[in-house]
Amino acid sequence: MVLEVKNITKNFGGISALKNVSFSINKGEIFGLIGPNGAGKTTMFNMITNIFEPTSGEIIFKGENITGIKPYKITEKGICRTYQNIRLFSQMSTLHNVMVGGHSQSHAGVFSSVFRTRAQRKEEQLLIEKAEELLDLVGLLEHKDTIAENLAYGQQRRLEIARALASNPSLLLLDEPAAGMNEKETDSLYDLIKTVQSRGITVLIIEHDMPLVMKLCDRITVLNFGEKLAEGTPEEIQNNEAVIEAYLGKEEEEVNA
Amino acid sequence: MVRRYLKKEGDRLLGEILNTYYLQIGSFILINIMLAISVYVPLSSGQLSLGSAGFMGVGAYTSALLTLHFDLPIVVGIIAGALVASILGVIVGIPALRLSGVYLAIATLGLGEVIRVIFVNWDSLTKGSVGLTGIPQLGREILEFARGLGFEPSMIGIKNNQFVFLSIFLVLLILVIAILWFVVRQQNSRVGRALSSINMDDRAAESMGINITYYKVVSFTQGAFFAGLAGALFAHVIGFISPADFAYHRAVEVLIFTVFGGSEVIVGSVFGAFFLTLMPEVLRFVSEFRYIIYGIILVLLMAIRPQGIIDTNLLKIFKFKRSKGGVR
Amino acid sequence: MLLEQLINGITLGSIYAIIALGFTLVFGVLGIINMAHGEIFMVGAFVGVTTTGVLGWPLWLAFIAAIVVTSILGYLLERITLRPLRGKKGVSHLAPLISTIGVSILLENLSHHIFGAGNKPFNTSFSEIRINIGSITIYLVQIVIFVISILLMIGLTIWLSKTKAGKALRATADNLETASILGVDTKRIIILTVVIASAIGGIAGVLVGMAFNSVSPQMGLSMGLKGLAIIILGGMGNVKGAMVGGLILGLSETMLVAYGNSGYRDAIAFIMIIVILLLRPQGIFGSKVSQERR
Repeated sequence: MVLEVKNITKNFGGISALKNVSFSINKGEIFGLIGPNGAGKTTMFNMITNIFEPTSGEIIFKGENITGIKPYKITEKGICRTYQNIRLFSQMSTLHNVMVGGHSQSHAGVFSSVFRTRAQRKEEQLLIEKAEELLDLVGLLEHKDTIAENLAYGQQRRLEIARALASNPSLLLLDEPAAGMNEKETDSLYDLIKTVQSRGITVLIIEHDMPLVMKLCDRITVLNFGEKLAEGTPEEIQNNEAVIEAYLGKEEEEVNA
Repeated sequence: MVRRYLKKEGDRLLGEILNTYYLQIGSFILINIMLAISVYVPLSSGQLSLGSAGFMGVGAYTSALLTLHFDLPIVVGIIAGALVASILGVIVGIPALRLSGVYLAIATLGLGEVIRVIFVNWDSLTKGSVGLTGIPQLGREILEFARGLGFEPSMIGIKNNQFVFLSIFLVLLILVIAILWFVVRQQNSRVGRALSSINMDDRAAESMGINITYYKVVSFTQGAFFAGLAGALFAHVIGFISPADFAYHRAVEVLIFTVFGGSEVIVGSVFGAFFLTLMPEVLRFVSEFRYIIYGIILVLLMAIRPQGIIDTNLLKIFKFKRSKGGVR
Repeated sequence: MLLEQLINGITLGSIYAIIALGFTLVFGVLGIINMAHGEIFMVGAFVGVTTTGVLGWPLWLAFIAAIVVTSILGYLLERITLRPLRGKKGVSHLAPLISTIGVSILLENLSHHIFGAGNKPFNTSFSEIRINIGSITIYLVQIVIFVISILLMIGLTIWLSKTKAGKALRATADNLETASILGVDTKRIIILTVVIASAIGGIAGVLVGMAFNSVSPQMGLSMGLKGLAIIILGGMGNVKGAMVGGLILGLSETMLVAYGNSGYRDAIAFIMIIVILLLRPQGIFGSKVSQERR
């Protein structure tokens, strides 16, 4: 078990965004987190990465309780995420965005950076190489010097994934990576995520694109109004009465999301 | 005959260049560049600090008092001044992290004013608003030192006071070049990328594994160090300081150097300090209405070109060489 | 003696409170700190001096003149420096702050050039009127100042909660976009807010002149910073907070001057800024700053 989410509850003022949600993810899985808008999926990501602390409950990562640990430390331990509404470093080049992702995998401090010690120069070289390799993986290598905000929308999404991968995560959190993508782009995304999985990285993905989710995920948890509605394999979820009901009438919206 | 003519012309030109007035302006430009950089560095990690005047004052008074009362050499005083300012920077910087944007600007403004009020009121130490006079002058100390080694300015054909001002100018020039080298090197590295990413989106930076607390304090403290250094040098160049030298107006003036010159790139701070220090000297009316013009500049700038005169795009046009791992 | 000091403190505090109201209004609606507010107050004071001293106008006319001039200044401020920055893509939130800093030094030095650096006397017969109760002397001006500040606070509170314009202002303060969608003329509301805040500053300026019998171009800066301290203490955007904060600062300063080391008087405000921002950034009455905005 790579990640264990235990009885997570999160209240914002009077609103209960998550109510006693639990699930666990096995190593090497692609695990889907789905549900209608407002179900609490992104909030769950925020709990895992500790952007906000849960009101109650625990997050256990590789056997260690990481609830409430500073976000940067969580990344150091091996969890990295992308954002629903793309948070790239917009005025930085594509290459540098990915190199920043590699921050936790490098060490150079102020003095070694200023005096360009042998170790620092080697480290910089490695960072550049790793970044280029990841850009190649997501198909953005030819754009490495482009300023991030000048990339096309789909390219920006892929860049975010490359940046997250640079942190050498054991668990990758993807927040609606297929949003706004056409069919061809979604197919590329499928291939990319499968490649990520083949590298031994566990993936937790929030998505609204149901065909993609069903094709991609090994297991799925469904949230609705902050509560866990169902959990199982894609087949089980597709045939689950409660899930169907929750989506009925909302299905039209989701397909076009 | 030609040789004698050339020598005379050469001497005259040398005299022109080594005109003490030009050297003095050059020295002020260099001190102002240091101050502008002290605003730029924290700004590059998203922290607008209006406390540069306060840190400058701390550096100045520390060094002045140490050299006046304890007869310490100027070099020691200056280093001590910069260090005390940076220690204060750390002390202030850590709690200041919780603040961002406008709140930080105001808190640092408040800090600067508290420091000034302390200078004015702690008159047993600082002689209050009267200020400190007779601070050991850097140029003269260098002259005495050189003389002690048997050197006389007349040996290279210049007068004593030309030598004094020239040596001040050269010391400042070397320091500014060193500081620029340091900051540029830092920027084109992992540290610089971390600072930039904090500036652009600190939440995202943190989720990429960057300890934003650490980096923000580092950049804030560096700013305090440079301001303190500039202040100590200021004290030993002018020889006289008072609390009024480190008031709110100074903080605003320094802010304008960076904001006007260009807040995205370090060249902007250099340009801003250079241009705005030179202009009042060159244009009389600018000097008289200096602050009114500053005010108008700020308003226009924010409305038309908030990033300042020199920005990354302008630099690209001039095709500045970009380091491999660099950001700017 | 103590009672007289208390009264002095309340008077000073009321003035501070009035200035703070101007800051808090603009911050509440626009989310920006108008660093030029202190200078607008100073302009009001100078209008008072000029109209009563040079032009020999009666006091009530001086008030009106101050209100008119500062309202116009407020309008210009909004139109020229604030509006161009609103809705501009990628403009840092520091830009309005820097812009208003620019206006503040512009106004301060303009006034310096026109009126010279020193204190200008502001004498009106009204300032001399006093009331003796036992061994205590109270100036009518002091009572007037206190009453005006209470009236302003009550008036603003009622206006904000009961009238249509006031509610529109609150809606705009809460969420500019939503208010606009709901049909609020946000542009007008914003202009109205800045103008009212500036007018309040103008009133405060004349009152200060009356209370202390002199004005100077430097008063804007120190008042401005103190106004900031107060709204930070009381809670930005909170009317009650401005009042309470103002009184606290006024009383502390007066007590320090009367019984302690008067030189450090100005430092109280600045120390307050720092301490409050660190311990309780939302101030006494403010609501917890939402973390979600990041």
